[in-house]
Amino acid sequence: MAEHYNRDSEPTTRTLLRRVLDTADTRTPRRRRSARIGAQKALLETPSSRRLSTPTKMNVRRGSHRARSIGRLAHVHTSGNLEEQTPRTLLKNIILTAPESSIMTPKSVVKPVPTPQVVRSSRQESSRGSLELQLPELEPPTTLALGLLAPGRKKQRLRLSVFQHEMDQELPLSQEPRGNASASSLTSSLSLTFATPLQPQSVQRPGLARRPPTRRAVDVGAFLQDLRETSLALASPGDSLRTPVATLPTDTVLEDTQPFSQPLVGHSPNPGKPAQLLAGKAKKIDVLAVSLPNNSSAISGEDRVEPLQNGVGEEAEERMEESLSVSEVMGSTGTQGSVRTEKSKGHGEMTEALEAKEPEGSSEDEDISGRTASPELASSTTEFLQARQPQFLEPAPPPTTTVLSSEPLEPLPTRHPPRARTHGSRPRQDPHKTGLSHYVKLFSFYAKMPMEKKALEMVEKCLDKYFQHLCDDLEVFSAHAGRKTVRPEDLELLMRRQGLVNDQVSLHVLVERHLPLEYRQLLIPCAFSGNSVFPAQ
Amino acid sequence: MKYFAFLLQRLKAAVHYTVGCLCEEVASDREMPFSKQTIAAISELTFRQCETFAKDLEMFARHAKRSTINTEDVKLLARRSNSLLKYITEKNEELTQFNTEQKTKKKKKLEDDNTKSVAVAAAAGKDDS
Repeated sequence: MAEHYNRDSEPTTRTLLRRVLDTADTRTPRRRRSARIGAQKALLETPSSRRLSTPTKMNVRRGSHRARSIGRLAHVHTSGNLEEQTPRTLLKNIILTAPESSIMTPKSVVKPVPTPQVVRSSRQESSRGSLELQLPELEPPTTLALGLLAPGRKKQRLRLSVFQHEMDQELPLSQEPRGNASASSLTSSLSLTFATPLQPQSVQRPGLARRPPTRRAVDVGAFLQDLRETSLALASPGDSLRTPVATLPTDTVLEDTQPFSQPLVGHSPNPGKPAQLLAGKAKKIDVLAVSLPNNSSAISGEDRVEPLQNGVGEEAEERMEESLSVSEVMGSTGTQGSVRTEKSKGHGEMTEALEAKEPEGSSEDEDISGRTASPELASSTTEFLQARQPQFLEPAPPPTTTVLSSEPLEPLPTRHPPRARTHGSRPRQDPHKTGLSHYVKLFSFYAKMPMEKKALEMVEKCLDKYFQHLCDDLEVFSAHAGRKTVRPEDLELLMRRQGLVNDQVSLHVLVERHLPLEYRQLLIPCAFSGNSVFPAQ
Repeated sequence: MKYFAFLLQRLKAAVHYTVGCLCEEVASDREMPFSKQTIAAISELTFRQCETFAKDLEMFARHAKRSTINTEDVKLLARRSNSLLKYITEKNEELTQFNTEQKTKKKKKLEDDNTKSVAVAAAAGKDDS
């Protein structure tokens, strides 16, 4: 035991483990059989000790312990309990099999050595909290760490943004700032525990990686000005949501159905908004992704309908300017690129099926928008710019919808009317073929081969005829039964004719197999409480 | 059970024979002989299709909440091919016409019988008196 202290100037986790094993020598597996409680305690010991052992990977000194471990192994083998997985054997295995090399370079060994203690102490403390029993075996190691418990507890609360920042900057290699001891310790420990490369997300999935927003000193004056300008820009996306920009004069006509369609009142509530935004920003400058979307969406929620009556040309110029300024505020071309990718994604999504893809797109947009300082503003302005260009007429509405709808969850109920209206604009293009394009895409996907356009067109024609046949059949079936409305019985008859439903397989079986629970509840009568059956037969 | 299988076999044989006769007729018309496999395939096909038809007809009748299969059910079955549907409807109309004619004839006959009997009775009465 004395050797331990001589070898290692600072007690590392490995040494502590060693100590545990040494001190717990008296409790051999043989004796455990006699004492049941002891066995339980030993078993409980393993989760906490495992937690202890994980940060040991950083330890470089193995030679000293290897001889001991071999000796220990022999001891264990002689004890003869190979079947019974004892904590001792587990610990041994962990120490033996844990990779020797750590992801940290050897030079950093000295510095992080004290830091994991902090982590360990906090973890031990947490582990002790989790285990209700006071385990005597853990007493000796924890007494050492008790002194460090207090600072460990305080430093355990680490700001996520700081952590991310340091993770990205590969902090474990450079742990100079002792002030960030806690942060670095946590980062180092976490990186050690995961034993993963330092930037897992950014390497594999650049689109989903959460890079911290680049922070600049916010110039309040310029910011307010930008807000005032962009609040106008936010007004316009409310219109572009519904109709493409080309049909400007009809905007007002369509917006008459809107609850807040007051063309002249538009600008009056605007001065109120920048104050809102400023307050929001002042609160959480470090976590920009949360504050701005909330406020900007609140704005757009209120100014949902802002007609483009106020000199579209002027506003276009304004927006051109403030889009540039906004882009400056955001401060990186990366964000622009992200917005563009988001737009391109939105475009790609437009060509595909609508509702099925929108949640995905919105989630992606959310990640990207979470990055930027004022994602809403940027997207709205840039998409307005896009809308100016005739080619991007169509993608203009959907990216805003996806972005707007994705960001906050609370204003979501207010979003539904604008969302519904975008779908209203779709049937103008091609009412018959829009639905089929989704199936054609599915077909091409399942074909697993590249397909010619003509082939896809033929597929579309066949699908069209097939669905027409289906609907004709349904109509005839309902007429056959002397009805004017198609009912589920007609559908069941149709499925019987198709061979999906037969004497072996009934409709209810198919419903159970393929439909989600909500639809199943609607279709299959089920008895609920109070002797009520739903759906009523 | 065995008897049922035997009946089935007999039924299939009957269908096969009828299909063979029809094919011979068509062959003599078009001057193109039919191979035996073709005739066998056609007869098997007709037999299975008849089974399907029967099941569908029963389904249609049940769908219309009836217990007897109607001409409406048959028309529903044949709606896919237009010519067949036309043919069936025409036949149906003919049959209905025939039925109505039969009914009128029967009625007339009855009436005639009645009048005749009355007349006979009257004559008999007269004779008697």
